[in-house]
Amino acid sequence: MKRFILSGILVFVAASVAWAGETIGFVKTVSGEASIIDSGKTISARVGLPIRMGNILRTGPKGSMGVTFKDNTVMSFGPDTELTVDEYVYAPGAGKLSFGASMSRGSLQVISGVIAKLKPQAVNIKTPSAMIGCRGTHFLVKVVP
Amino acid sequence: MIRYFQLWLVVVTAWMIVTGCSPKSYVVLMDSPDGTTGKVAVSSAQGNVLLAKSRTGIDLDGSSDVPFSVDESQIQKDFGEAMAARPPLPTSLMLYYKQGGTELTESSRVLIPALLKMLRMHPAPDISVIGHTDTMGEDDFNERVGLERAQSVADIIRGELKKERKMKEEDIHITVVSHGERNLLIATPDNTPEPKNRRVEITVR
Repeated sequence: MKRFILSGILVFVAASVAWAGETIGFVKTVSGEASIIDSGKTISARVGLPIRMGNILRTGPKGSMGVTFKDNTVMSFGPDTELTVDEYVYAPGAGKLSFGASMSRGSLQVISGVIAKLKPQAVNIKTPSAMIGCRGTHFLVKVVP
Repeated sequence: MIRYFQLWLVVVTAWMIVTGCSPKSYVVLMDSPDGTTGKVAVSSAQGNVLLAKSRTGIDLDGSSDVPFSVDESQIQKDFGEAMAARPPLPTSLMLYYKQGGTELTESSRVLIPALLKMLRMHPAPDISVIGHTDTMGEDDFNERVGLERAQSVADIIRGELKKERKMKEEDIHITVVSHGERNLLIATPDNTPEPKNRRVEITVR
């Protein structure tokens, strides 16, 4: 019975952590207009702002922004860019690794981190007409919608 | 006169080909920060293409599946601002310990200023501190020692961020964990003292 209650509590804790949305990275550089859209709410980007799975990262016509994720992946965005973090799982101990994003417009630099190193097929960026699979470290993406 | 005009036309056309022929949407593979070159796989309506050569690009509109080379001026034009916004790359440092406790070896103690310098390079530093031990003693004892080692480094970092950067507690992000004797750098049998395994690994993002 005690074990049953304990596992019940654990399930509850795990569910609430997922619900609250774990921090998966931080905004590191901002210039001009840039924002994060978290559950439909637009937050003006500033250095130190946390990023969560599902967030939309957006820069204005004269803006740029840089973000570093928990697995050491570094992304930076030029002006008029929009990228959604669709999936981010970084649990190397449990062998669970995945990083999926969609980019609808703009310019992006990616320097991949531990996820790509441990599981190269787990890092993918979707664009309106193609899928980019990161098998290495450093690449640039331009999307004109 | 007409000949000059024709020549001019050729020059203009050539210039347009050089500067204006890159596709609207594309991906370019670049050299990695460590000097190696990785790979990028692209799948689109045109099929699958693997880029493996530095500064080659591929169209993302599905109009061509032939890689093309991308010159520096095009990279600067399309990605200059994105590249200028790049945060500093994450860096790591290893500190080593004397046997059984949280006392640093002499050669690691002198690395503390380097650690603090590393911190200063990163805006809004996101820090991971992992403590390790060798296989001397019981597992749970080593879990605790690993944690104490990691905690002592985290305390130094926290103090520095508060003092030098005037950061508030809620803005400081330090993850402290112990791997005890479960993650050896040098594989040894149980109950073996190994200086290289008594360590704390710090990553500053």
